[in-house]
Amino acid sequence: MIILEHNVETGEVIKREATAEELAQKAIDKAEALALESEIMAKAQAKEAAQAKLAALGLTVEDLQALGL
Amino acid sequence: MAKQTFTTGQVLTAAQMTSLQQTAMGGGSPSTKTASYVLVAADAGTVIQMNAAGSTTITVNTALFSAGDSVQIQNIGAGVCTITAGTATVNTAGSLALSQWEGGFLYFTSASSAIFFDVVQSSGMTNPMTTAGDTIYGGASGTPTRLAIGSTGQVLTVSGGNPVWATASSGGMTSLASGSLSGASLDLTSISGSYQQLKLFLRNSQFSSAGTEIRVRLNNLSTGIYNAINNFNSNGTAGAAGNVVATSFYATYNTIAASTTSVMMIDVFDYVNTTAHKQVQIQFNFTNNSSQIENTSIRGACRTTNAIDRITVFPDAGTFNAGTYELFGVK
Repeated sequence: MIILEHNVETGEVIKREATAEELAQKAIDKAEALALESEIMAKAQAKEAAQAKLAALGLTVEDLQALGL
Repeated sequence: MAKQTFTTGQVLTAAQMTSLQQTAMGGGSPSTKTASYVLVAADAGTVIQMNAAGSTTITVNTALFSAGDSVQIQNIGAGVCTITAGTATVNTAGSLALSQWEGGFLYFTSASSAIFFDVVQSSGMTNPMTTAGDTIYGGASGTPTRLAIGSTGQVLTVSGGNPVWATASSGGMTSLASGSLSGASLDLTSISGSYQQLKLFLRNSQFSSAGTEIRVRLNNLSTGIYNAINNFNSNGTAGAAGNVVATSFYATYNTIAASTTSVMMIDVFDYVNTTAHKQVQIQFNFTNNSSQIENTSIRGACRTTNAIDRITVFPDAGTFNAGTYELFGVK
């Protein structure tokens, strides 16, 4: 994995291989991103399910907002 | 030739006709004066020419001329000759003071009022510039004055009432680093602490892998100290706002489609503060011009009290395929 490193103070730009530590961090980051994606997807699915339940009751989101909910 | 009152049967001589012709053409033999002079009735239709080394006046009094009469006045002397309203009124849109080689016409609108039409012979402006890049500004009393070109990077400003080229003293944005995006990560290190704010732009960035997310990390801190609220608009629909605590800032919470071009702007405020957490805003827009148009806004804080001297931007998967970056220090 290549890292583009730009030393702002000296202006030196290098392309280097990622260190073992950075590779390990990459794996952690990826796992975190996947978890976050799952969480967001779950939220979206929960929202869709709630809207479906409302529709089954003959209600809409606007109805709930009108009730101040 | 002075104005004549012709009578029936009078015979005009050739000399008179020539003189009349000259007068009609605005010329005629002048009546030269060498000292201040008061116009008389016989001056109607003539040329009064002042030739004096010192200042003189030509005085205009009432009840001497009729409406429609005119007197041409010239000053060929070194002294200024001033048309002076005696008992008559003299109006002008120009100047009544005639320098050498200036002149004009007195045109009477009544026996007591005249208009002086000033015919100033401007000498034009002497060019004070000597070098490429020079400019001209009005100096004392508007005198054309040379302003030599400044040096590279200088700006035009005002000092002591005059324009000057000077180095911009403060404020504005300073480009600290720029380049082309590539690799799995952009790592900006050793960032100067001389500014109040950092602003990082990623322009036209593209990614090798679809389905990635873009993240921003400060000082390579990778613990869960990044608190943020995320709002995004995906293809015209408001996405769920996300309150997130993570090990970096997420510039998007939606995976990016293939062939997507993105623009990102990251602001890190008060980044050298060593007592407060670092406030950050990220605007990230990406589109593939068809199936995906997303606009993301992230506001958050990195809970570190260390001064920030490093910013890392990276996709979760793959590499930067294209695009540029530029880091600015803002004062």
